[in-house]
Amino acid sequence: MKSIIARAAGLTDVGLKRELNEDSFSTDTKTGLFVVADGMGGHLAGEVASRVAVDLINKSYKKWFDSDAPEEDLFEYPDPSLSKIGNYIQSSIRLANKVIHEMAAEHTDYNGMGTTVAVLAVMPDLIITANVGDSRIYMVRNGEIERLSKDHSIVAEQVEMGIMTDEEAKQSPLRHVLTRNLGSAIHLEAEVFEIEPSSNDRFVLCSDGLTDLVSDDEIQQMVVAEDDPEVLCQNFIDKALTRGAHDNATVVSVYLSDIEKSKSDPFKKMGSILADILTTTQKATKAFKS
Amino acid sequence: MAKLILMFKDQVMQEFPFFRESMTIGRNPENNIQIDNLAVSGHHAKIDKVGSKFILTDLQSTNSTFVNDKKIVSHSLKDRDKIQIGKHVLLFLSSETDRAEQSGSDETMILDTAQQRELLAKQETAAGQGIKKIGVLSFLGNSEIGEVKLIKKLSRIGKADNCEVKLSGLFMGDTAAAISKRPSGYTITFTGGMTKLKVNGQVIKDSVQLNEYDTIELGSYKLQFYQKEAESI
Repeated sequence: MKSIIARAAGLTDVGLKRELNEDSFSTDTKTGLFVVADGMGGHLAGEVASRVAVDLINKSYKKWFDSDAPEEDLFEYPDPSLSKIGNYIQSSIRLANKVIHEMAAEHTDYNGMGTTVAVLAVMPDLIITANVGDSRIYMVRNGEIERLSKDHSIVAEQVEMGIMTDEEAKQSPLRHVLTRNLGSAIHLEAEVFEIEPSSNDRFVLCSDGLTDLVSDDEIQQMVVAEDDPEVLCQNFIDKALTRGAHDNATVVSVYLSDIEKSKSDPFKKMGSILADILTTTQKATKAFKS
Repeated sequence: MAKLILMFKDQVMQEFPFFRESMTIGRNPENNIQIDNLAVSGHHAKIDKVGSKFILTDLQSTNSTFVNDKKIVSHSLKDRDKIQIGKHVLLFLSSETDRAEQSGSDETMILDTAQQRELLAKQETAAGQGIKKIGVLSFLGNSEIGEVKLIKKLSRIGKADNCEVKLSGLFMGDTAAAISKRPSGYTITFTGGMTKLKVNGQVIKDSVQLNEYDTIELGSYKLQFYQKEAESI
């Protein structure tokens, strides 16, 4: 099937305060898989964790997707609320988590390492997003922005429960305390969403180095204003840098093409309607005869 | 090492060095810091050491927890913070090394899972939101289908075989509409075919968020959307 991705780009920057860039990302327009990961843990551990996550998620996803793997063959039990491809993503994240968790337990240098992930998979008839931690996925459709990820942080969970407001969350000293990441526990569930693609959808995956400094409204305006995803990524990084860039910042943006036009062929549609009429008449005649 | 000093009416009662990962405060004797006073809940609050930070959390206590006269739900403790519990005050003193580490710490940290589960379980029961809800489509009028639970993150509606909600009809699209469960709730999207999608009588050409008891029309089908408690959870 023809890819519905028009263009995609990714960019990362160490920022102005950190010495190391612990973020990793990947863009693959062929498989339609995009990943952003924000690593944590001292020395080189954060870098290692985010790199391992990005590589392993790509590898397992590609392997299962290419071989059309049955759900029983995946790592750990499949989630019944997801499609098969959705389970490929969920499972690839669980597997990456297990590997990072074991690396952290075995090597003293890697003790306490972990990473967030934000994953986007684009297929002709399905969009899947998955996230762990506070890296986010945004969709801009018909000019409106929507988050397709859920932050796993203490403050986000308190906002969801209604015991903290959005404003309080932004000011909270606990805003960087995560409740889930890859590496800290043996078992992990990613937050997965599945939606139908629509013409000209635009997606942004990013680490908190961006969202700490740029609001959802600003992201929406910047995405709508820029038709080139590569320039968009640069604009986001520049914005973070002008605002102090206290953390590493990473952005991946994916623009879809005009899908509807290629999808519906009026002649084909008429043909199928005629066929429907014929079968209905046949059925009716049969029923009448008997 | 950080420590807590228990005071009552400016009198020092007891000192508690912070030598573990977590300290609980309450009236019951099993707490690490027991305050035997009726204004204090059985399990009133707790302090967790997360990285170099000390996080105080109120455990939905009856009379609340205050830090420097401000009511808190959770709070990252700073040197010399005054924690008010009932009529008692706990003075938080961080150690030299903690202070050095705390300044300039804007790092992302992970909360220990066991601590977090416990914290969230308490919050959830208190907020009454531990119950998971699932979307349901109820067919109105003359239909054999009755109800369909939206167990999938994405449920397609149409006449194609891969549709979770299968409807027939001459002009029904293979996939006429799709309902997805997103962070903001359930959203219905028109996906194609010659049958119009209406929500509460309005024709929908792209997407709209579904609210409780919205009516959805697709050709001659009329359905109502609502949410109910998921049984298995």
